[in-house]
Amino acid sequence: MSRTSTLQAPAAGPLEGVTATINAAAVERLAAGEPDWLAERRWRAWEAYERTPLPTTRLEEWRYTDLSRRLDLDALSPAARGTRAISRNTWPPELRQAMREDWDAAGHIVEIDGRVVHADLTAEAAAQGVVLASLREAVHAHPDLLREHLAAGAIPPDQGKFSALNAALWTDGTVLFVPRNVTLPLPVRITRWVSDPAAAYFTRTLVIGEDWATLSVVEEILSPHFDEQAFFLSATEVLAGDNSTTHYASVQRMGLGAFHMALYRSLVGRDARTDSLHVTLGASTARLDLNSELAAPGAHSHILGLYFGSEDQHFDHCTSQNHAAPHATSDLLYKGALDDASGSVFRGIIRVSPGAQRTDAYQTNRNLLLSEEASAHALPNLEIEADDVRCSHGATVGQLEEEALFYLQSRGLSRRRAERLVVRGFLQDVLQRRPPGSVTEKVTRAIEEKLRAH
Amino acid sequence: MSDAPILKTASLRARVTEEEIEILKGVDLEIRPGEIHAIMGPNGSGKSTLAKILAGHPGYEVTGGSAFFDGQDLLELETDERARAGVFMAFQYPVAIPGVSIANFLRTALQARLEDGEELDLFDFQDILLERMELLEMSPSFAERSVNDGFSGGEKKRNEILQMAVLEPALAIMDETDSGLDIDALKVVARGVNTLQKERPEMAVLLITHYQRLLNYIQPDFVHVIVDGRIVRSGGPEVALSLEEGGYREYRQLQSTVSAA
Repeated sequence: MSRTSTLQAPAAGPLEGVTATINAAAVERLAAGEPDWLAERRWRAWEAYERTPLPTTRLEEWRYTDLSRRLDLDALSPAARGTRAISRNTWPPELRQAMREDWDAAGHIVEIDGRVVHADLTAEAAAQGVVLASLREAVHAHPDLLREHLAAGAIPPDQGKFSALNAALWTDGTVLFVPRNVTLPLPVRITRWVSDPAAAYFTRTLVIGEDWATLSVVEEILSPHFDEQAFFLSATEVLAGDNSTTHYASVQRMGLGAFHMALYRSLVGRDARTDSLHVTLGASTARLDLNSELAAPGAHSHILGLYFGSEDQHFDHCTSQNHAAPHATSDLLYKGALDDASGSVFRGIIRVSPGAQRTDAYQTNRNLLLSEEASAHALPNLEIEADDVRCSHGATVGQLEEEALFYLQSRGLSRRRAERLVVRGFLQDVLQRRPPGSVTEKVTRAIEEKLRAH
Repeated sequence: MSDAPILKTASLRARVTEEEIEILKGVDLEIRPGEIHAIMGPNGSGKSTLAKILAGHPGYEVTGGSAFFDGQDLLELETDERARAGVFMAFQYPVAIPGVSIANFLRTALQARLEDGEELDLFDFQDILLERMELLEMSPSFAERSVNDGFSGGEKKRNEILQMAVLEPALAIMDETDSGLDIDALKVVARGVNTLQKERPEMAVLLITHYQRLLNYIQPDFVHVIVDGRIVRSGGPEVALSLEEGGYREYRQLQSTVSAA
């Protein structure tokens, strides 16, 4: 399929974000050899990308994250290493360590520099019809699954500049499919590593749980520090069938110099439950666009966020809980600590559609500033068009309490230790709301590492 | 019992940090190991300020006089150094630390007493904690709760006693520990202090209280009455009993007479 067959009238003026790396030729290369439906989907996304301007701080959602200052698309080149086959014994030690810490799983996916280099799934899960595969492989092995769901219902390509960019230029990713009535007793672990400086990475994750399925996914993203900015744009789609239960956790521990942009959307079916935990610890700039769509009656979405900024890290979280159906519940809690000159933004909205009566929706954001230079913007919001609902939102930005520190010091803790203990407790409060499991232990260790620098 | 005082203050003066008015106007106090002293006084007399000054609260500053603890200049030590040296203050209003369990808190506090590089043996710690809780008739699950988070007044005070039991101070200062407690909670606190002192007879206790009723359950060796920043009377338990009858009125009059003189 060639581009010209679907090309619309050329846009006037220079196209924003079209570069020597991010351009139609790149789409052409990726689409070559792909089935028509997929190539067409890429081109539609590319056109949406071309005609959408880059977000500026004039937009509410981007007011505190100035892309013109933080992201230089022109400086990015395609990831080189990802095109090379990578054998297991050349995997970076950091990646191996992260996997070793949390080995037990129903299956593993390892993604290096934008390509899946390893996939395994227990025989038991495979026998029950569970699919865990790289997207590139699934294009040919499970075309119907992808055709129905990939970049379609959850994150369609026309919902913003970056959803379009990812849908046009994704190089690989993961698909997990859990059939009706199947329970995965252990999580599926996706570990991602990127290493080329000044490179752009676009990958996706598609999670499909059919009716009555029970599953858990842990995504971890790691990288070294970068001298020249690396840009990682990931998109995660979670489709939770009726009465299904989905646990999702993402842990972002990229190095400084990285810009991580994550798009996450869950579509929650009738009487289904999704629990998600979004941990942001790394990267110089991290932006998360999170949306949970309560699509059918009785849907429940429980969302936890945790972040800990230091040095000059900047984290921007943009969340929405969309209540499209009655009798659904959603509960969001985001907590973060900000040290040094780091900054965070939380912009959250609960939207209740006219028909979504008996909605229960909550949203809380709490920030703890650990230094004079740190900053936090908390902007919770409600948009309610139904009259029989229970919704609340709240946000706080506070500092360490002197009286609490004195209390701890009076028990023999130095000021530093006292501060660390208060921060640890503040953040642990989020993890304690998750069932105990290895991801919380891993996050705890990562927090400890950051605390040691405080 | 040794003759050397564990705490000795001389003409100790103090105020709220950066405020003009002095609250403590010269306090002389000597406490020897194993002794129980009670400091009683009306509201605003400075008794709680004395506790906070001894513990090193940043909201109060010393304006004159001295305080020595176990031969060291207490006023030269930071709050945490005082704690590690053996000073413990049970708070009037213990602070909540959400997300931090009592066990974790105590483990961290004991770890802080060790040299750099030394690791607290967690099995030993667990044994100590359980043994202390049993001694104080507390349920082991109590230590799993977040420090003072959502605690009742009585639970907060029990937590203070537990910390005191684990940290084993040389001097325990009870800063109006009895305030706001019903009689049952008060008995729990008193029993805790008595149990711990029986176990470690060398522990000195400084009870700071407005009311005589705590002294029905903890028998002091010495009672001091503080009014307007000065100790105006010291004696045995009988001093407290006379307060119960006459209140602080006569001391206030005494004080004004002294000031007028």
